[in-house]
Amino acid sequence: MNQASAAIGDPLSESPAVAREELEAVFADIQSHPLYDHELNGCLNCGICTATCPSAHYYDYSPREIVQLLWTENLEGIHDAMQEKIWACAQCYTCAARCPFGNSPGGLVMIMREAAIKHGMESAKEVLRPFSRVMLKVISTGNQLAPNMINAEHFPDWGPHISKVDAPLTVLRKAIPMPTLHTLETAWEVNLKTSLELYVIWEESGVLDQLETMDENLFDVITDIMEEKRDDYDDWLEDQEDEDGDDDD
Amino acid sequence: MSKPVLIVGGGPAGLSAAHALASVGQSVVMVEKEDRLGGAPILSGYAKLIPSGEWARDAIGSMVARVEQNALVEARLNCQVNEFSGAPGKFQAQLSDGSKIEAGATILTTGFTHFDSINKPEWGFGTYDDVVTTTQVEQMISTGGGVRCPSDGRKPERVAILLCVGSRDRQIGREWCSKVCCTVSANLAMEIREELPDCHVYIYYMDIRTYGLYEDLYYWKSQEEFRVKYIKARIAEVTSDGQRLIVKGEDTLVKRPITIPFDMVVHAIGMDPNVDNMKLGAIFDVDLESHGHIGRGSNYSALATTSRAGVFVAGAATGPETIDDSISQGQAAAMAALATLNQNIGAA
Repeated sequence: MNQASAAIGDPLSESPAVAREELEAVFADIQSHPLYDHELNGCLNCGICTATCPSAHYYDYSPREIVQLLWTENLEGIHDAMQEKIWACAQCYTCAARCPFGNSPGGLVMIMREAAIKHGMESAKEVLRPFSRVMLKVISTGNQLAPNMINAEHFPDWGPHISKVDAPLTVLRKAIPMPTLHTLETAWEVNLKTSLELYVIWEESGVLDQLETMDENLFDVITDIMEEKRDDYDDWLEDQEDEDGDDDD
Repeated sequence: MSKPVLIVGGGPAGLSAAHALASVGQSVVMVEKEDRLGGAPILSGYAKLIPSGEWARDAIGSMVARVEQNALVEARLNCQVNEFSGAPGKFQAQLSDGSKIEAGATILTTGFTHFDSINKPEWGFGTYDDVVTTTQVEQMISTGGGVRCPSDGRKPERVAILLCVGSRDRQIGREWCSKVCCTVSANLAMEIREELPDCHVYIYYMDIRTYGLYEDLYYWKSQEEFRVKYIKARIAEVTSDGQRLIVKGEDTLVKRPITIPFDMVVHAIGMDPNVDNMKLGAIFDVDLESHGHIGRGSNYSALATTSRAGVFVAGAATGPETIDDSISQGQAAAMAALATLNQNIGAA
């Protein structure tokens, strides 16, 4: 954690580590999220969410704590949890399946993550940094991986015991009747018009704004790609018109 | 002579209403779908009742006996009401035995249905033999067999009682508190500790609701005198390592996930609306309240009323209820039924 995120108050100073206004702004963004009231109904402190949470067994993370912080509007605690804890959630939503109140702690974490990104928190940048290649592919092509890329060679973190499947997967995948899954060679080859539609979605949904906050360099690279594709599309349209013109004559 | 009062259901509330009416000279026809009177305490073989400590078969058994011996009460066993029509003072009921009866008023004492733990599969009931319900533990005690693990008959060394099974749980559409389970569980925990002094008994809770006078008599006593251990945690799942049951939860006061072995896990099952309530509501044309119990017409000005004049309700038919309160409500319903009869003397 670098200095900007690990805000620890100076015990000799009267001024808080994080300005009250900032704490309130962060919480206001969380609370005004359209899903907030749907994910949080109340809390009996029963702990079934933490009991069932895989991450709670390995990290200093407790979904019950997240729910309690939000329910009691503990602004310092919320801000503090956003510096590290919320990134330990694996988004499996077992907590939501168990909560007797019908809360979704995992959903609340997702909302907090969005707020962390919006506010450019260093914790979010740190978590996302290793994923810049993934983001580049997802945002520019809409597709991160083809099935055949998901293999042990590309993912050393799976450990040595993962390569147990000894079968001609490439052949088997081609036997899958759905043609949409036949993307082994073409995963990153996207129809121009589809690409452009995708870019509109990224722009309209605020994804690009988030990207700019999180990683300016990557944002520049991706907007360059987008521009290029849009030029290509314009060129293609012009070609079509020319052809049409020829036909009409 | 006035027409009889029809009482539907022969549990504590119905028995109480029947006795009250007969004791002032009013005749009663009691319809009971099972083959004996007594309701859940008898049919489910409860052990010692709260707060008297009397055995259910003695306490409720004596209520059954005094009704059976009363010439003014006619009990129809293995019998149900199929059709119901008319108005206060002149109701007609078609019974499943083919007979028809006339009644001046009706009291529904149709009770509840025990929650079926199968509906919470993550807590192991139906998967592991040694996961049982409070009702089963009551039966182990009331039959004299003692508290034993069903899988092999051994005496458990560690017992976990899980509260709020089928209560206070939006996941399965049961938002209500079943009211009795906390006190019942504290009582059973003490029974277990009395029979098996070496057995450790843990109670896992969200809140303890041993309301009123039960606080010190059950909650505190079970801790202070019987060393029952209370842990604030809702259990996530019950599994097994092949030897013992494994209970996974969070100790919310210590704030860490816990995984603990047990020999026996007891579900403190809640009280569902009677599974027949949709049918009963239609036959008697009475409204159900939002959880599916029979709705009360009024909470203050008139006791025991439903949405239909002359049809009254008492006991756990209205929602989770204790035995002693069901008995009180039975008497209140009897009083209300009598008033209806008086107002409709001479009704055709």
